[in-house]
Amino acid sequence: MTDAALLSLLVPAVGGQGGGVLLDWIVDAALIDGYPVHGTSIPGVAQRTGSTTYYVELSGERNPAADDTPIFSLYPVPGALDVLLAPEFLEVGRSIELGFPSPGRTTIIASTHRLYSIHEKIVTGRGIFPIEKLHAAARAFSKRLIAFDALALAREHGTEANAVLLGALAGSGVLPLRGDAYREAIQAKGVQVEANLRGFEAGLAVAAGSAAGPGEGSRGVGTPLATDPSPGPAADPAAVTRPDVERTAAGFPEGLRAIVREALGRLIDYQDRAYAEKYLGRLRPFVEGGDLELARLVARHLAVWMTYEDAVRVAQLKTRASRFERIRRDKGVGAGAIVVTDYLKPDLDEIYGVLPHRLVAPFARWAERRWPHGRPTLGQHVKTTTVSGFFRVWMLTWLRPLRPVSYRAREEHARMDRWLAAVARCATWDTALACEVARAAQLVKGYGDVRRRMTAHFDRLLEAVLGAAEREAAAGGRFEASRSLASRYRTLVLQGPDSEAAAAALAAETASQP
Amino acid sequence: MGERSFAEDVKQLGYGEGEILRGEGILAITKALLQSGVSYVGGYPGAPVSYLIDVLADANDPLLKPLGIYFEQSGSEAAAAALLGASINYPMRGAVTWKSVVGTNVASDALSHVASAGVIGGSVIVIGEDYGEGASILQERTHSTALKSSIPLLDPRNSLDSFARFVGEGFGLSEASNEPVFFSIRIRACHMRGTLKCHDNVRPAISMRSPLAAPSFSIDRINLPPFTYQMEAQKFEKRLPAAKRYIVERGLNEHFRGDEDHVGIVMQGGLWNTTLRGLHVLGLADTRGRTPIPLMVLNAIHPLVPEELIEFLRGKQRVFVVEEGMPNYIERELKALAHEARLPVEIQGKELLSPHGEYVPHLVIGGLRRFVTSAGVKSQSTVAIEDRYRALTAHREKVGDVLPEPVAKRPPSFCTGCPERPVFSALKILRQREPEIGDTHVAADIGCSTFSTQAPFNVGNSVLGYGMGLASSSAVSPLFGKRTISVMGDGGFWHNGLTNGVANAMYNRQDSVLVILDNFYAAATGQHHVPSTGKNARNEPVPMTIPDALRGLGVKWIRTVNSYRIAEVIGTMREALTTRVPGLKVVIAKNECMLERQRRERPRLRREAAAGRQVVQPRFGVDPDVCTGDHSCMRLNGCPSLTLRESPDPLRDDPIAHVDDTCVGCGVCGEVAHAAVLCPSFYEVKVITNPTWWTRLVDRLRGAVIRRLAAVGT
Repeated sequence: MTDAALLSLLVPAVGGQGGGVLLDWIVDAALIDGYPVHGTSIPGVAQRTGSTTYYVELSGERNPAADDTPIFSLYPVPGALDVLLAPEFLEVGRSIELGFPSPGRTTIIASTHRLYSIHEKIVTGRGIFPIEKLHAAARAFSKRLIAFDALALAREHGTEANAVLLGALAGSGVLPLRGDAYREAIQAKGVQVEANLRGFEAGLAVAAGSAAGPGEGSRGVGTPLATDPSPGPAADPAAVTRPDVERTAAGFPEGLRAIVREALGRLIDYQDRAYAEKYLGRLRPFVEGGDLELARLVARHLAVWMTYEDAVRVAQLKTRASRFERIRRDKGVGAGAIVVTDYLKPDLDEIYGVLPHRLVAPFARWAERRWPHGRPTLGQHVKTTTVSGFFRVWMLTWLRPLRPVSYRAREEHARMDRWLAAVARCATWDTALACEVARAAQLVKGYGDVRRRMTAHFDRLLEAVLGAAEREAAAGGRFEASRSLASRYRTLVLQGPDSEAAAAALAAETASQP
Repeated sequence: MGERSFAEDVKQLGYGEGEILRGEGILAITKALLQSGVSYVGGYPGAPVSYLIDVLADANDPLLKPLGIYFEQSGSEAAAAALLGASINYPMRGAVTWKSVVGTNVASDALSHVASAGVIGGSVIVIGEDYGEGASILQERTHSTALKSSIPLLDPRNSLDSFARFVGEGFGLSEASNEPVFFSIRIRACHMRGTLKCHDNVRPAISMRSPLAAPSFSIDRINLPPFTYQMEAQKFEKRLPAAKRYIVERGLNEHFRGDEDHVGIVMQGGLWNTTLRGLHVLGLADTRGRTPIPLMVLNAIHPLVPEELIEFLRGKQRVFVVEEGMPNYIERELKALAHEARLPVEIQGKELLSPHGEYVPHLVIGGLRRFVTSAGVKSQSTVAIEDRYRALTAHREKVGDVLPEPVAKRPPSFCTGCPERPVFSALKILRQREPEIGDTHVAADIGCSTFSTQAPFNVGNSVLGYGMGLASSSAVSPLFGKRTISVMGDGGFWHNGLTNGVANAMYNRQDSVLVILDNFYAAATGQHHVPSTGKNARNEPVPMTIPDALRGLGVKWIRTVNSYRIAEVIGTMREALTTRVPGLKVVIAKNECMLERQRRERPRLRREAAAGRQVVQPRFGVDPDVCTGDHSCMRLNGCPSLTLRESPDPLRDDPIAHVDDTCVGCGVCGEVAHAAVLCPSFYEVKVITNPTWWTRLVDRLRGAVIRRLAAVGT
């Protein structure tokens, strides 16, 4: 049997990414160059942001006789794929799972940017699929890999990732089509022709410049996550470079300096120098304890916790001149004007939280009994780019001197002290256990009901772990159970509300054990 | 209407003899209808055949009207099937289309009646088999409907030329057998791109331009006893035998002979490409489909022609049947035939393949490999076949080494800015914050709104059928300790919900809450018009409204809410769930489908901006230093543009929320943060391009004051 070559190309995309247009361009380019071709897709509901695929097959032989064209398959055959052209990086992983690309045959051309799936987003902690694993899998399952952030490149050229990927496909030379065939296809399609041609050329340059050796050709590792270009949020830039802060930080071991420097700047910005001193006073015993990992954990979590987001802090962050600059930059406003409306809805706790403890404590105790779930709230939409709106929020920042005696401060610092005491107590038993207890502070986050719920978990974790550790200490154990309890409880809560019941059950079960 | 503009395709539908059409499979089918001289075309849109409706709607004025062809987007598949009633009495050709198997189920009453009475004008039903990857419905195949109603079923090979040929043959087969004919097409085949050599369109003899003058009455076409008995007899004595004769005479099924005459493969036409590719990768066929293995390609899978099949089976030792879906009628028929004809042939099918599911290449290849290695062929050694199979699959064993954990799933969901999504945010917030009323049974429906059952909402306890949400809670509601909620879209409401849902609930005095998501279109199928859109598919004005229809059925408690205002939706739902008013309470949550709105608005704004006029575009954002990264907003919102980014704060562990540049500024993230009392991180920014001098002046003055204050700041 004589056989004509067949080339196959799969586009694993996310609905709404323009995969259909990409497919049309490739099919049209093949037709322009006289290669019998066939493309298909499964739009349907997957178009609505789900995983979807587009598939192209073309004959390796140009202008064959009419009765001598290949029988095209409507489906990709796992293991018999020549090109995987992926407009999103997680979908590369999915294609590998399904067995489509193979190391002996497939060229993977992929954009490394991520569109996070809903299952990655709804995790309370970090639910993002590790991008290093995707890179390793893409390398292992390709003959040649061209991976770069096509979306970023597209944005630079005012276009979409699909045009850039078409360019990369052309530049890779893996299909026998001329560059001009693709260009003609873009022109014939007539959709945003100029911008798409710019994107095409940019993608072509990247692929043409990439090395062609097996497993090579990756242009960097892309961006695992879009990073915010603005400087550290709380830190007033001036504070960071203050010589006394530098001096203080220099007094700490090498591995702690960056954290301490960041923390001090932030604490001074948050309250004042005395407050920063208080932080240092709390941190020092752990530094002197000698375990660097533990000291780093305490230093990091304590700084975040001590700068908890009360109404005053939110007002401070919302009324910085640098904030409006950041918004203009992020939203690409250029020469235009902006009107910013803030969605603020402090609940009762957050309102009386900023007032002096002595004044509001009786009321707070009553309110907590009166509204055990969900306190009354004060919802408002404030236009912070108008003078009156800005002024209303900005006035709140003047309550800052009251903060040390506020109701909220009393509550937060009491809890911090309980946490520090627990960490210190555990450190006398087992450093690894102390580290786990220190990490529990990661649970303390959010606002309003969320923060109350997370704090309740934190309290329960602390109580359960301390109880278990006491029992293990008495029994002369090695604290394995307590360590595991602390770690598992935190992990479960950070998975999301559905796992919180399991966490609570875990704590209850441990407590009931002899 | 529709997701795309079809101007180019409409032009191609007008092509004449010898011109080459380029497009998808479904376009070739549509063209073939016009080449067959149809008098009428109708159908109900649904993937994968919505396109047929879309393109004909656009072709109505330029192409169909001049030919006198009547076109309608029917109210449901039942209405579409009933269109075929025209061909019972009058010798005119007609075609209808829908998504199968669900559409066939809806149509089945009318369909059985048409199939019983029989037709004198050719009638073709194009059924889009929404089966396998990308399907949005339950998984059944249409084969059994064809069998029970004696409707011939075509399942042709996949190429545009083949589709066009078999549409024509379908009309011929229908007229020869006096039965409507199913033309089955799979999802990928519908969207397969290729070329078709065209013929001229045919002007129908009976048309809107040359209408019927007199009615035709024939009592033996009335579905009443005793005629129904005659009809039943005719099906098996006259109609199906006539169909078989037509199939043989026209050579609809293809017998490819080959050197390996001790074996053979019988397949559905629609599985030709996959089976031939399977033989190719195992070294038993070339890429042009030439193979030494004898093949029987059944482009007509009902009725089967025993003589054809026995001829194929004769002299063979082993035969393999590639037949998708269960029950395996073809395989069982073949076994019965072989038995009756006393042929010593072993017939295998499902036992070598997966008993269920779409026949994707790796399943078919696996089955072929088992078949040819056990049957033995001269043209390839078993070792060579096994080597080829291993080369194809060896890498799959190593997937677990690099990806030990499964990659995150990515279910379909509501689009950015979708007006339905916030209603489910509201229901989830109500469930969490007021479980005594909000944590109740929710009957979901078919449409985009079905995504509510997915993450992050998981709202909706059952999905039963299009427009059946309310009806499906009829027994739950009186047997449940709280008031229950049913949800349906405007598409579902008009399709089936009005009668089977609302009328049934009113008639049975059901005390529950119905939420109608009114986004002006059947959005899931591609923004098709519905009776309350204001215009029909032919763009003629229609004055029907949902509240009028409800009032007509006697519904008293009707509230219409702006779906983006989550607090308003929650408040109205609370009222509906707690009011002392008995009976059905209907909340209409209203706003236009954002896909359609953006398709219109985006080019307009671009034009305005290019012309230098002031354009105001709302966008949402998250202050990265205010967000603490607990992701509660994601669990209540689920907007694709609300995503994650690494926290700029080096002291924090978890990624924070971020609104990316696909945001359309619908405001739901702010509304959710407000309604669920989440956090103060969200802001709306109105971006004003080409500001007028007044806007610039105000902006500058405000900026000056604010900068001064900020500098004094703390």
